[in-house]
Amino acid sequence: MNLKLLVWRQKGPQAPGRMVEYPAPDVSPDMSFLEMLDVVNEGLIRKGEDPIAFDSDCREGICGMCSLVVNGVPHGPDRAATVCQLHMRRFHDGETIVVEPWRAAAFPVVKDLIVDRSAFDRIVAAGGYNTVKAGGAPDGNSILIPKDQAEQAMDAAQCIGCGACVAACKNASAALFVSAKVQHLASVPQGQPERYRRVRAMIAQLDREGFGSCSNEGECEAVCPKQIPIANIAAMNRDYVRAMMPGPLALALGGITEAFEDD
Amino acid sequence: MNLDPHIPSGPLAEKWHRHQFECKLVNPANRRRYTIIIVGTGLAGAAAAAALGELGYNVLSFCIQDSPRRAHSIAAQGVINAAKNYSNDGDSIWRLFYDTIKGGDYRAREANVHRLAQVSVDIIDHCVAQGVPFAREYGGLLDNRSFGGAQVSRTFYCRGQTGQQLLLGAYQSMMCQVNRGTVKVFSRREMLDLVVAEGRARGIVVRNLTTGELECYEGHAVLLATGGYGNAWYLSTNAVNSNVTAAYRCHRRGAGFANPCFAQIHPTCIPMSGDHQSKLTLMSESLRNDGRVWVPKTQGDRRKPAEIPEAERDYFLERKYPSFGNLVPRDVASRNAKEVCDDGRGVGDSGLSVYLDFSDSIQRLGRNAIEEKYGNLFHMYQKITDENPYESPMRIYPAIHYTMGGLWVDYNLMSTIPGLHVLGEANFSDHGANRLGASALMQGLADGYFVIPTTVAHYLAGIPQARLSTDHEAFRDVSAAVQARLDRMLRISGSRTPRQFHRELGRILWDQAGMSRNEAGLKDALARIPKLREEFWQDVRVPGEANNLNQSLEYAGRVADYLEFGELIARDALERRESCGGHFREESQTPDNEAMRDDAHFQHAAVWEYTGEGKTPNFHKEPLVFENVTPTQRSYA
Amino acid sequence: MKLRIEAFLSSTGTKVVIALTGLALYAFLFVHLAGNMMFFAGQDKFNAYSHYLISNPLIYPVEIGLALIFVLHLVRAVGNFHKNQRARPVPYHAQVPVRHTSRKSVASTTMIYTGVLILVFVGIHLFHFKFGPELHVNDAAGQPTDVKDLHGLMVTQFSNPLMVLFYVVSMLVVGTHLWHGSWSALQSLGAGNVASTPRLVSTARIVTLVLMAGFVLVPILIFAFYRGAGGTP
Repeated sequence: MNLKLLVWRQKGPQAPGRMVEYPAPDVSPDMSFLEMLDVVNEGLIRKGEDPIAFDSDCREGICGMCSLVVNGVPHGPDRAATVCQLHMRRFHDGETIVVEPWRAAAFPVVKDLIVDRSAFDRIVAAGGYNTVKAGGAPDGNSILIPKDQAEQAMDAAQCIGCGACVAACKNASAALFVSAKVQHLASVPQGQPERYRRVRAMIAQLDREGFGSCSNEGECEAVCPKQIPIANIAAMNRDYVRAMMPGPLALALGGITEAFEDD
Repeated sequence: MNLDPHIPSGPLAEKWHRHQFECKLVNPANRRRYTIIIVGTGLAGAAAAAALGELGYNVLSFCIQDSPRRAHSIAAQGVINAAKNYSNDGDSIWRLFYDTIKGGDYRAREANVHRLAQVSVDIIDHCVAQGVPFAREYGGLLDNRSFGGAQVSRTFYCRGQTGQQLLLGAYQSMMCQVNRGTVKVFSRREMLDLVVAEGRARGIVVRNLTTGELECYEGHAVLLATGGYGNAWYLSTNAVNSNVTAAYRCHRRGAGFANPCFAQIHPTCIPMSGDHQSKLTLMSESLRNDGRVWVPKTQGDRRKPAEIPEAERDYFLERKYPSFGNLVPRDVASRNAKEVCDDGRGVGDSGLSVYLDFSDSIQRLGRNAIEEKYGNLFHMYQKITDENPYESPMRIYPAIHYTMGGLWVDYNLMSTIPGLHVLGEANFSDHGANRLGASALMQGLADGYFVIPTTVAHYLAGIPQARLSTDHEAFRDVSAAVQARLDRMLRISGSRTPRQFHRELGRILWDQAGMSRNEAGLKDALARIPKLREEFWQDVRVPGEANNLNQSLEYAGRVADYLEFGELIARDALERRESCGGHFREESQTPDNEAMRDDAHFQHAAVWEYTGEGKTPNFHKEPLVFENVTPTQRSYA
Repeated sequence: MKLRIEAFLSSTGTKVVIALTGLALYAFLFVHLAGNMMFFAGQDKFNAYSHYLISNPLIYPVEIGLALIFVLHLVRAVGNFHKNQRARPVPYHAQVPVRHTSRKSVASTTMIYTGVLILVFVGIHLFHFKFGPELHVNDAAGQPTDVKDLHGLMVTQFSNPLMVLFYVVSMLVVGTHLWHGSWSALQSLGAGNVASTPRLVSTARIVTLVLMAGFVLVPILIFAFYRGAGGTP
């Protein structure tokens, strides 16, 4: 296959960027998207040009490092997959592919297609954990956890922290990322002691980082490589209301929302 | 080179507790005065950062990725061992210890392995408290699975993402310490050298990958948790950024490197599709429970699998190992796959794969049962290869997966450089010549959460508290040398890319120091690698500058180290004239072509001492003493 | 736990406020529609009802409260919109909707614009029926009383096809806003889970459709059956 790439190039955080066109000749349909970029970069290096900088690591869809917007969709056209799991057989000969970085004020571009996602680390540092010291834990079986509750926790805990949710959201909101962690720990008994402190602290940090708010559209859920549903955001909001309001008010609101929470 | 393992005295089962009591302590009020540098944020590194932060030390944590949560431990699909005996099937600390020693083909230290088995139970408890969502039974108890041919069900798991969940647990605990101010995280930093002053590891020089600047950090101890070196073979199941540089640079500064030739090869990987391939994807070994491995009986048979009649298929594992069949250990399965491919009977376009056929199981159990068990793996396979494994057999081929070799450490996880401690896959200690399934996660967390907090305190309590300025000449010298090396690479401006050199090195290592090794091949590798290295330093092309984000420069530096380290792998493989674990020397096999250990001559850890660029390293041995188990020969016939 | 002010200022808190005020306005629309339906009870009954309503002294606090809710909804939504704009300073070269499980729609992407249009509509609507020219019910002597003839006013207004068109289009705009707004408010307040959210969404949308159908029917029915009838059919 012969393809054309339209790629965002930006020398550094302060430098202006622009879209630049590159030919991608002799692309094998069996290549992954990132391998295709590797090959294009090999050509650029041999020509003495600056190769296209992009992040990747595990290349099997779990580390969350790769972060490309392909033809206007974070992680590209495949669902439930990261861009490193995207294969060139998804494209057709002669196609022009547009490649851009995640776009968000909270994810400033470092170079070309690489962005700085340390905001996510700071959000986790604000409260995304159970405070437990190594060595002091009771036996793992001392607290029973019903199977479906453990599964629910796992569903949320799968988040790979790639930031595609932010990239897809029209408001660059990180609500899905935060809600996944909040909901993971709220779903297990061990997460209860810090449950409300956690949601408050994480949302406060989220706001300091300059992410937008959630419009409940669900673009995040649709691009999420782990298909984490936005129902987690509702659960987070529920905990937030409980965390932030005096008993009766929270109870009233909680009552309203729980009426819809049948399962 | 002093290779005293400092194994505590006393009966095996009491050594660790006795040692914990005998180790010196650091007063809680004094801990913040000690700075500990931790390089790497995988299971071992993140766990150590969390645990040491909790204790009150001043921890500086470095990672190469943009976030500590992305370390390659995250990709471990499998499971984690713990000797809990929750399944009531006769498991015990002793049995886990025994299985691990035996699985490692008697090339690991008894005391280390027993300690690992002891702390394994605490790991699970701690992870549960962190909120790690382990699979549960309906009654709410933790669920266990048997794995990797073990006779007991002792593994714990979080679907197919156990490594991810354990790492996120460690990462979160570490970020908790960041919030408390005990741990500082430096992401997108690559350690390029170790600073040794007055005979002790006192700091590191890292390159800030965003700005290109070299930065010096000083501490009282340096903990290396930088993972394995599987990428020396170019294609492996490792993440593309995993590399040997940090460990190798420490080796050059005086740390002995032990058993570099011990690499584990995983039999069920998705075969490569072409030269462009950047990594190999592992599929869970559990596939072999229901899949049958075969190739055509005749060479060069290009027919579609469905067109090959039963009589013309060679189910070679079932044929050669009637009692274990398709479930023979990883190395046996891998080696046999290579053999049939070398024999010209491999399948696929490249001829470098064998079939893993589920049609019998689908017929016997129904498609739904297979889908329930392996649905996600089949889906992944189909996505990568565009072939439907429900309809035609999967194609698999072995790939480098885990490296048992690593920097030599004593019982305290300290290398031959005082103050430099090595944790997790980066050290050599616990898995011998072959790692048991579900033990990698266990070892990383054991080292980080439970071993190092005791042993590093012992070290710190015995050294002066004084800080060292990063203006000290030791830092200046190392930093200047690192800069000079980077500049040199940029100046060459030759015609080949770093990737071309890496691919070429990988091919040499895969062919000559891969699944099966022999003297002639290894000598050939030892002749070709230095030549390739020479060409690298004359003809490599690294574009851009050193003072900004330059991924080619990062990569070139790693390849340059592989080119030195690859030689060490071949040298070690040549020196070990026995077969053991993941290391198969063709000269040392039984009449029916099985690996044959030579305990009389090789019951030791081979430790290499760096002597200078291009010079033959010094060879040392740490003899392995077995007081509690008797080495036996493996047999799977 | 004490009420924290950030509860209403944070991103999530802002959405809670917008959702609460939005749901209050949504509830008001039901009351409004019920009132509209009284039209068909006949001129006298309708005018008596409307007179009872507007002559009740409680109407002022209620109206002020409603206006405050409206303003609060508007102010927080506009502020939120600006903050969200700032969250992505550099736009994509080519962004396309993801589809798949996403509920992004014309409605969800135009909330701020439909919101502004609703503001304009409310202004015009209030002029038509509250602050604009009035009709009064005549007493037996043919003299105008202080009872407003809202029934007559509606017939007069909706005898004009352009006016009917204007109201129908306006209701489409309101309906678009509520198509997303109704269930979004519930989600912002924390309703739903993986299993029930899809049901929540469809329920909210069906209720919105019914509501809007009611509002659209009134001018159309008046135009069809009461046009030019000067009061009685």
